[in-house]
Amino acid sequence: MTRWFEDIEINKPIFLGSHKFSLEEIIEFNKQYDNQYFHIDPELAKYSHFGGIIASGWHTACVGQRKMVDMLFAEEERLIEEGKEPGVSGPSPGINNMTFRTPVRPGDEVSYQLTITSKRKSNSLPGWGLLFLEIKATNQDNKLVYRADIVGLSKLRDFKPNLKQKLALLLMKIPLFRNLFRKK
Amino acid sequence: MSANPITKDYSHFEDLHIGQVIDLGQTKVTKQMIVEFASKFDPFPFHLDEEYAKKSLLGGLCASGWHTAALAIKACLDNFPNKLASGGGLGFENIKWKKPLMVNDIIGGTVTISNMRRSASNPQWGIITLNFDVCNQRGETIMLMTLNNLVDVRNPSAKLEEA
Repeated sequence: MTRWFEDIEINKPIFLGSHKFSLEEIIEFNKQYDNQYFHIDPELAKYSHFGGIIASGWHTACVGQRKMVDMLFAEEERLIEEGKEPGVSGPSPGINNMTFRTPVRPGDEVSYQLTITSKRKSNSLPGWGLLFLEIKATNQDNKLVYRADIVGLSKLRDFKPNLKQKLALLLMKIPLFRNLFRKK
Repeated sequence: MSANPITKDYSHFEDLHIGQVIDLGQTKVTKQMIVEFASKFDPFPFHLDEEYAKKSLLGGLCASGWHTAALAIKACLDNFPNKLASGGGLGFENIKWKKPLMVNDIIGGTVTISNMRRSASNPQWGIITLNFDVCNQRGETIMLMTLNNLVDVRNPSAKLEEA
């Protein structure tokens, strides 16, 4: 899905769309993953310093991930319609500087924006490139509710492995060796 | 005394110490859990489709990293001694996915309190740093992350300790 590494544009903000957080989905998520009283019980939450029930920060972040994946699939569809071959996305190695600035409350409409701030070829994974992404989310009052720096993986279109890399790629197809490669 | 009747018997800032370890217990992760979470929040084919996943970088159907973290947060809350008198999370740092969480793996591991300080701006709050080391059933670290979280101070009028 998405574009090939070579075609990905830097520093061009992408609007990922918005999501309205309902009371029901806040409670449903938090009962499973973040069951603190101010995340699951509107009455008890009044005793907290938030003064009412709020979404889990992790929920706000997970919705951002969904918005990003939806954008990648939409881009894939667009490329196929244009008769082009879409690229391949890989799993994320990590995230840093994730902060929750303003609580998200039931009924809040949160807008997500993604910017690819830089990219480079991976040293450890031949044929793949690293993307450095910044995601920002704001509420209906344009207050920042969440931001994070996410690392993404994208396949190289023009990858011509040298002999050493060819051997490494061949070995990675064998499960035992693949596990060895994963160990850092 | 804490003013909050919900959290009055929960662990406050004064009840915790640097180096304290919370065991995350054991959570078995089924295919159904993985697919349910991924279809909501991270619908990449390597989290949903077994055949596709076998050919992918991850080598088989595995959980979304966002799911692994969510399960670790839940395990930390469930296993925190006397529950935490939490004022909410401020944010996460250094989230690293080291190994995939595969179908039927059992996750566990530890959370260590690596730092504690009183809030300079609000004497009612302490800020604790929680280091998550999430492991699979073979004891291999699959994920690391650090959470800064607000915690109620039982006695806000007590002097701020060394910064």
